[in-house]
Amino acid sequence: ESHTQYERVGADVTMKCGSMDWDAAVTWTVNGTDIDESHLNGSYLILKNVDLMQSGQYSCYEGSSWHLKYQTYLRVGTPPKEPVLMCRSNNYPKGFYCSWHLPTPTFIPNSFNISVIHGTKEMVCEKDAVPKNRCHIRYLQLFSTVKYKVTLTVTNALGKNFTTLTFDEFAIVKPDPPESVVAKPVPNNPRRLEVSWQNPSSWPDPESFPLKFFLRYRPLILDQWQHVELSDGTSHTITDAYAGKEYIIQVAAKDNDIGTWSDWSVAVHATPWTEEPKHLTTEAQITETTSASTSSFMAPPTTKICDKGAMVGSGAVAVCWTAGLVVAAYSVLFI
Amino acid sequence: MAGADSPSAALQRRDLCARGIRLAGKMRADVLNLLDAYAERQGLDASASVAAVEGVPAAAVERWDEQTGTQRLLENLAAYRAFRALLAQMLEEHREQLGEADAALGRALAAVLLQVSAFAYHLEELLRLESRGPPGEEQEQEEEEEEEEEADGPPPQPPGLFEQKLRGLGVLRELAQWAVRSARDLRQLAKPSPGSGPAPSLAESP
Repeated sequence: ESHTQYERVGADVTMKCGSMDWDAAVTWTVNGTDIDESHLNGSYLILKNVDLMQSGQYSCYEGSSWHLKYQTYLRVGTPPKEPVLMCRSNNYPKGFYCSWHLPTPTFIPNSFNISVIHGTKEMVCEKDAVPKNRCHIRYLQLFSTVKYKVTLTVTNALGKNFTTLTFDEFAIVKPDPPESVVAKPVPNNPRRLEVSWQNPSSWPDPESFPLKFFLRYRPLILDQWQHVELSDGTSHTITDAYAGKEYIIQVAAKDNDIGTWSDWSVAVHATPWTEEPKHLTTEAQITETTSASTSSFMAPPTTKICDKGAMVGSGAVAVCWTAGLVVAAYSVLFI
Repeated sequence: MAGADSPSAALQRRDLCARGIRLAGKMRADVLNLLDAYAERQGLDASASVAAVEGVPAAAVERWDEQTGTQRLLENLAAYRAFRALLAQMLEEHREQLGEADAALGRALAAVLLQVSAFAYHLEELLRLESRGPPGEEQEQEEEEEEEEEADGPPPQPPGLFEQKLRGLGVLRELAQWAVRSARDLRQLAKPSPGSGPAPSLAESP
């Protein structure tokens, strides 16, 4: 007959060889390996200050016949610490879920019991198949000022512990992050990026319970984020991007009226449109290119060629040094 | 008068709903500020649980998603008419107790009372548009009195000062909930609907 025995880390454990007398000749094994006689007191096995490594199957055999007289599975562990409990509604107004975990493992099986009370009414939190440490509740009432009280009790063979959360309906509303965030450059616009996203699919009724959004973006080379809050719509055009710099962009969501902001969405990267690099060309190609494109010889607005201080000449014919050099270079080509 | 489902009525309904949603949002923000100021002034914890106060319409509702548009409007209107009376009473009590000592709180109470009255009027407009005129307030009071008639016992004692304070907290807290509910109700109402039948309920699985 096999048993399971649970003991705390650090405990002293004495195992008896079933109904064998104290002075019977026996052999103990752990996981099939003989245990040295120094751990025996008569036929009793003494394990002092047990640790996790000493978990295993312990067997006791009668001395000469090697009949198995006793077997037990020793599991060394700890009683549970206060569990960590979280409740959240990411699918308002349908309901909310609670999930939990232990801050440190116990190394032995634990069972969890959750109770949810709303006023005087006890509600059933239906356990999810996956993940195991989660359950969900449907709201029976909306817009209630009465708080919910959720108590989670964790029990194992060595002890029990519990924690309680009290909250109101609005406070735990936190949508999932927006989905399918896409950022694209805008053709011929070196300072713009078009960003679009979708409501999280877990949010059941965005028409009646609209979300607002928070967009943050920065060039990879800088640490400081720019922020934009958007009260409606699922797209936005960034108009002040640095030309040619790669950007990182994220979006968060919140119910328009209640609750807290979601976590940030998955980050997307995008670089604003830049003009094609110029190559040295023949006169014919320059003429062809000039008639086809309006911006060939136009510097992008953010690309500074010169400051006002570097201007030469005056009035309508003012030209800056660098522009002058470029023109001169082209002129040399055509001589 | 245009029928409730004509295109112009639908546009008017959407417009009234949009304005109502904005009114409700502003009202909620002001009520929450007032709630904090009131709790601080009265030496109460704004987040403390307060038992349901008699006569204060509770915003809590079951099967909210199954309500018809008319039901939503009628329940909202009854609530805001009740809040109008409750806030007027709170203002009166405030003036009696503090006089000019806390004029800012008095002004904030009066401002919220004004918004509640305006919102009630807005709801009446929406009900008129639904080709269902708003019930008279006397009719609502009679219905309430009929429900209360069966209660026997001695007449209630006038509330003491502490009960008044707690009641005030309960009124403002419930009003803040109603402001959120009203915005939701108006969004439901603004959705194009086939008629005054029940709104489609949300899918069963969470």
